[in-house]
Amino acid sequence: MPEAAPSHLGSNKPFVLPAKPFAPEDEASLREALKRCSPSTFEAAVQFRKTGNPEHLPAVVIGVIERFVEPDLRTKLKDADDDLRLIEDLGIDSLTMMEIVILVEDVLQMSINNDELRNLRTVGDVKTFIDCKVRGLDLPKPTKFLPIEHIAAVMPIQPPFLFLNEASFSSSGANGKYKITGQEFFLQGHFKDNPVMPASIMLEALGQLAVLFLLEGASTEPGKVISPNTIFFTGCEGVRAHRVCRPGDILTLSIKPKRMKMPLATFEGAIRVGQEKAAIAEEITMTFGFAEASSQPVLPADSAAKVNGANGTHAPTPLRAAVNA
Amino acid sequence: MPRVFITGLGFITSIGNDAARVTQSLRELRHGFELYPPFQDPAIPVKIAAPVREFAMGSTDCEDWTFPAPYVIKREILRGMAPHGVYAWCAMQQAIGDAKLSDADVSNPLTGLYAASGGSPYLMGHMLQRMHTHGVMRCSPLGIVASISGTVQFNLVAHFKIKGSSCGFASACASSSHALGFAYDDLVLGRQKRMFVVGAEDCNVDAILPFAGMRALSLQTDPNLASRPFDTARDGFVGTGGGVVLVLETEDEVMRRGVKPYCEVLGWGQSSDGHNVAISHPEGHGLKAAMENALRYTGTAPEAVDYVNAHATSTPIGDASEARALKAIFTTPAARPAISSTKSLTGHGLSLAGAMESGFCALAIRDGFMPGSAHITKLDPECEGLNIIRSTLPARPAVVLNNVSGFGGANVSLVFKQAS
Repeated sequence: MPEAAPSHLGSNKPFVLPAKPFAPEDEASLREALKRCSPSTFEAAVQFRKTGNPEHLPAVVIGVIERFVEPDLRTKLKDADDDLRLIEDLGIDSLTMMEIVILVEDVLQMSINNDELRNLRTVGDVKTFIDCKVRGLDLPKPTKFLPIEHIAAVMPIQPPFLFLNEASFSSSGANGKYKITGQEFFLQGHFKDNPVMPASIMLEALGQLAVLFLLEGASTEPGKVISPNTIFFTGCEGVRAHRVCRPGDILTLSIKPKRMKMPLATFEGAIRVGQEKAAIAEEITMTFGFAEASSQPVLPADSAAKVNGANGTHAPTPLRAAVNA
Repeated sequence: MPRVFITGLGFITSIGNDAARVTQSLRELRHGFELYPPFQDPAIPVKIAAPVREFAMGSTDCEDWTFPAPYVIKREILRGMAPHGVYAWCAMQQAIGDAKLSDADVSNPLTGLYAASGGSPYLMGHMLQRMHTHGVMRCSPLGIVASISGTVQFNLVAHFKIKGSSCGFASACASSSHALGFAYDDLVLGRQKRMFVVGAEDCNVDAILPFAGMRALSLQTDPNLASRPFDTARDGFVGTGGGVVLVLETEDEVMRRGVKPYCEVLGWGQSSDGHNVAISHPEGHGLKAAMENALRYTGTAPEAVDYVNAHATSTPIGDASEARALKAIFTTPAARPAISSTKSLTGHGLSLAGAMESGFCALAIRDGFMPGSAHITKLDPECEGLNIIRSTLPARPAVVLNNVSGFGGANVSLVFKQAS
């Protein structure tokens, strides 16, 4: 066992392929390691190890995840979008996640820290993470998940006009879900004996996700906080509806910021139902403003330290097996 | 004081993978020995073992394992198990079905599980080797759980959702008798109303061959001669493995559920030799004291004992020591129980032994037979005066004693009685 830790351990220095070329015995051990994965996974891993081309990574990572998912859930992964959640949708627990990591480490010849794993919630998170590791890029900000209670607490928009059940944020945008229950008041008249989600409301839902992103996910100027009471719709471009959405459908919403410069923020947005495109908006723009005075008092550094000291320091909990050992 | 009964049994053993096959093997003295393929290396002087049939557990990769069709175990459960965990899991399924227990009967605060195994040296060795070659972070996250002593109850308690007492016992070959004894105590003390008692062992190269170093294993090459407790030519024990589960319940539970028990657990006694780390006291003092304690506690006269399932493993010193202990207990002409060692059929199951042989005693009491001690051609003169039966007696024993002895000189004697 080498005494020195590999240079890429726990850092984001560019991943360097080992100087040693990919030898037949490496291929044999790779085949053994991936013996329960699909042949295409093995092929992708061989190509990656030979060329270092990150284009092969998604196939390797998805192939390894698939191998650890119960057979009856594997179909989900087959036509997976990046929002597919590891725990909730695929039944992967923290121990299985470790098995996945160990195999990925083994196959891609890299090291992954426990702390880095904590924030991997979706298939997309995993793909992005591995890609960043291999390219030596900064790891993306962890995806932040908001449950409905939290959404309702921060949003200026409230039921019955709130069309988000859950939302998550990363540095590149936000994703949300809304299930059309059939109980929405406007469906009584839209249409007569034929409930269809109005396209205008679908656009509204995308706008709400953008509002939530401004309030919770957007990075603004230091010390400035966007006030919920300052956000208003100004316009949209290139809106197209592709699919009729009805009670029972789960809308998967996503928005990405395109431009943000006080007082305007522009997003692109899309809605899917399962794998089907339901609606897109090329641009949704809204105005926003900062709160007059920061609602959170800024403590001087020494008093902040005292507060921390009084409460004890809360070290982040790394991902661990729930071992009672 | 609550009475305690055995209401369910499950067997994965070298002489059968269910109660019916085990009973048949015991009655007909069919042994489970074979020239064990992994031992047929010229460098290995030991040739015989008594493996579990129909299970292929040779790989360190649990996804390579195969076991009989009725048992379906998900990968997420298998990955934390040793081979003997799988045996125990299957025996547990049998025992639950046999005792007719509902899910609620199995999972509640008054139902516990005590278990014993030696852990899995096989998986431990694999894991440590991988740690040294691949690095500490590249070991299976569940390698520890699957391999250390305690792995049996970790797995069974979690997967069968046991909510009551759970614990593992480590007194080597006395372990699962200790588990049974303390399970009995918990029921009598009113702490629990139902206890699963589990004994299990891997039976593979890494679990058995380390005993060759202490010259404890038979070097015989004939499966019909290798294990012959009480015979003058005995030359060591034959290793076996498997999993056995017993369900113990209080009388109230037996009545409430309306099930017919196999037999009553009357009580138990234990004692230690205080003599040698690995060798039985030559006069069998510890085992004699354990039997005395068991008989005194249960108010049983030596004359009342009909059958003794002896510990006798087929080692020269151990069998002689037990024979002396038995002679010291059964002194009067009226006290002449039938004695046999069923290890002549199964081999020695180590931590599994006590639970397995208690299961045999329960079968003998319910089905009305006393299994013979097989493979004796010339009885050791040390056994003179003892009624060591060489063939199966078709009579129902009313009171049965089951002995075990473990490393460190730990001895346990359990008393079972026909349910009345």
